[in-house]
Amino acid sequence: MLRLNSYRELEHLREQIQTRRSNITKTVVICGGTGCQVSNSQAVIDALREELAGHDGLDQTVRICVTGCHGFCEQGPVMVIQPDDIFYCHVTPDDAFEIVHQTIIHGKLIDRLLYTDPVTGEKARSESDISFYRKQDRQILSCNRGVDPCSIEDYIVSGGYSALVKVVNGMPAEEIIEEITASGLRGRGGGGFPTARKWVECREAGGDEKYIICNADEGDPGAYMDRCVLEGNPHLVLEGMLVGARAIGATKGYIYVRNEYPLAVKHAQIAVKQAHELGLLGDNILGSPFSFDVEIVRGGGAFVCGESTALMASIEGKVGEPRAKDVHTAIDGLYHKPTTLNNVETWANVPAIINKGSSWFASRGTSGSKGTKILALTGRIKNTGLVEVALGTTINDVVFGIGGGAVNGNAIKAVQTGGPSGGCLPVEKFDLEIDFDILSQAGSMIGSGGMVVMDEETCMVDVARYFLTFLQDESCGKCVPCRLGIDRMLEIITDITEGRGRMEQLDLLEELAETVVETALCGLGKTAPNPVISTLRYFRDEYEAHIREKRCPAGVCKSLITYWIDPNLCTGCGVCLHNCVHGAISGQKKEPHIIDVQLCQKCGICRSECKFDAVRII
Amino acid sequence: MQKYVNVSIDGAIIHAIKGTSVLDTAIEYGICIPHLCHVPFLSDIGACRLCIVEHVVNGRSKVTTSCTLQVEEGMVILTNTDKIRRLRRNLAELLVAQAPNSRAIQDLAVRCGVKEVRYPFRNADCVLCGRCVRVCTEIWKARAKGFVGRGKDRHVDYPFGIHPDFCKECGMCVQVCPMTIPPCNGPIKDGEEYLCGQCESQLLTNEDAPGSCVWCKLGEGFGCGRYVGSMR
Repeated sequence: MLRLNSYRELEHLREQIQTRRSNITKTVVICGGTGCQVSNSQAVIDALREELAGHDGLDQTVRICVTGCHGFCEQGPVMVIQPDDIFYCHVTPDDAFEIVHQTIIHGKLIDRLLYTDPVTGEKARSESDISFYRKQDRQILSCNRGVDPCSIEDYIVSGGYSALVKVVNGMPAEEIIEEITASGLRGRGGGGFPTARKWVECREAGGDEKYIICNADEGDPGAYMDRCVLEGNPHLVLEGMLVGARAIGATKGYIYVRNEYPLAVKHAQIAVKQAHELGLLGDNILGSPFSFDVEIVRGGGAFVCGESTALMASIEGKVGEPRAKDVHTAIDGLYHKPTTLNNVETWANVPAIINKGSSWFASRGTSGSKGTKILALTGRIKNTGLVEVALGTTINDVVFGIGGGAVNGNAIKAVQTGGPSGGCLPVEKFDLEIDFDILSQAGSMIGSGGMVVMDEETCMVDVARYFLTFLQDESCGKCVPCRLGIDRMLEIITDITEGRGRMEQLDLLEELAETVVETALCGLGKTAPNPVISTLRYFRDEYEAHIREKRCPAGVCKSLITYWIDPNLCTGCGVCLHNCVHGAISGQKKEPHIIDVQLCQKCGICRSECKFDAVRII
Repeated sequence: MQKYVNVSIDGAIIHAIKGTSVLDTAIEYGICIPHLCHVPFLSDIGACRLCIVEHVVNGRSKVTTSCTLQVEEGMVILTNTDKIRRLRRNLAELLVAQAPNSRAIQDLAVRCGVKEVRYPFRNADCVLCGRCVRVCTEIWKARAKGFVGRGKDRHVDYPFGIHPDFCKECGMCVQVCPMTIPPCNGPIKDGEEYLCGQCESQLLTNEDAPGSCVWCKLGEGFGCGRYVGSMR
């Protein structure tokens, strides 16, 4: 491809691509994100290509567009046929023939591939008929749908790099920063720090060399929005970084992405290469004096390297450990130069603010938190996946409206937001708006956007134990409060879940949590006790039941529960007896069975296998 | 030429050399801030967190370590508030519960007001203060040892666990290690750990003015302002 030397040449290229594509009548959009690839979308793509090649002319007029994540990973592989917007889910390679013959050639719907609403049982024709999509406000994720992440042409056709044109073509740096300030954009990585303030500080810092970093080292259990954005639309992130670099005066950028995201690494590398070839990266971008280059650094997958100073140490080739941040990284960052670090999603928000204006961005959200946020909705609910909502949407709307409520008719008890650094909010708090300040006042945080829904079969003490175990493994171990404090908290909570807890340990737990919050070295350490603090605040009764009554109300903590077969319900079918790997169940056929408590390992297989609900936890 | 700045530490206005840390300034002036990982001639990493102080900015106080905080003009530092004492005591309690078999750590615990240890004792040989690693790396540039592993697996070791030939065997790592001096009553056996507290009598008994010097082993060995002063 030719190097573009001015913004007019970019416009010209856009028109050229449009003309070249004018004979395409139908586009089959298939999700090739990690989620759908796991559900075998690659085989579907291959089968469809083969099928289309078998028809004369069809491969000229029908275009297959393999995109990044659409968000509804649970229904994968998902497919959208445009321009009719027909939405198919759970597509298999065997369906390719039918899709080509029925839908593409004759425009007929294939009923069994349509999405069925789990609540109403109705079939949905397109995405807009599905409540999961309808209730969202997809500003960033919707871009994923029309763009092949490996094709810069797709991105340019969809209006890409127009924000770059704007900023290299007359928009002064001060104006860019003003626009970002007015938009009220806050960091999407967890802290919620105003993005513009970081930029201003870095711009005003002295020094000839400045860096910007895109943080794609996402490590929270259950969260994958950064992966999907970088994987699905890497040019959007690049464009955001270019705008930021222009505003700050940086000449070099890094994308720090964890190596466990192979597809994101690959797509980012392709994007950088393509942008280089077109002259959208490198020296004298679009013929202007502005030069900027991006390097991709792969991280080894340490949770702590998501912390800014640890990440910078890792880029420098040192051990990924945080250091004291008494001087902001905007002044003393990577290689001791002024550095701006933002999350993938933050960068992805920037081009739209420049294109559509700050007032457009600020029209969504609450007084303190503007724009939209991508959440990874998982847990015990019907619809799981990536959702994007305007900030200020209530938790209720997300969990029940988009998520469709609990599975198996259980009652929802709590939601855990913000990953290991966040907290658990009980169902009584579900009318709270999703907002940086409101959630942190309630003892949780938006964090990177993970949202794990829990029902009555989840033990909150066990949840706290799970997160502490994660944090204990992932703590870098540099400072005392994080290394020893989390270790001791885990020791106490394990005691409680195993029936050795004492009431005074709860006070000790609270005191210890406060110590870690106040004294830990880095942001991850300071927020590490949040799962304990929030569960103690809202679910103290569960802790007390574990300690006083030696009972686990949710029936999860193995040391405190016993499996028992209700003789009135047991039909003596023998399914549990056959499935028990420990030989703990005995009984004659058609007679009620019994469980030997000495032999029982409490694995729960008998309970899940019993068709008569006769196995109980007491 | 040295530049000076005025900082307020616990109400005292101190004429401090620009570029020094709050901890060094305070110790030189005679205000003892307990510390473990800080050694005067090594870089500061802020690992033990015992030297925490309150840094008051615009009426809001922020807890931070004084060893990594550089003095600045007009800075207001509080080293001995209720909050700091409580946090410091909890940190010292964690340390002494982890490694009671050291007079330096036992002294520190008493100095920080630990009266009881609410966690089961462990008898670890290392508190990961990083003194040995830094002295080897920074003074001798030998890099014969470093931190290995992460989280609870973190430990100090030679490269790949093999004693390297570039170790100069200078013994500096042993010199600076706080774990080499046993408690007053001798080394503690496994399972018999206790909080020593023998030097408690040296502390002021008045609860309002705690934090007197216990002439801790750390200070004696590693250039505490008071020891240096008393030697003159």
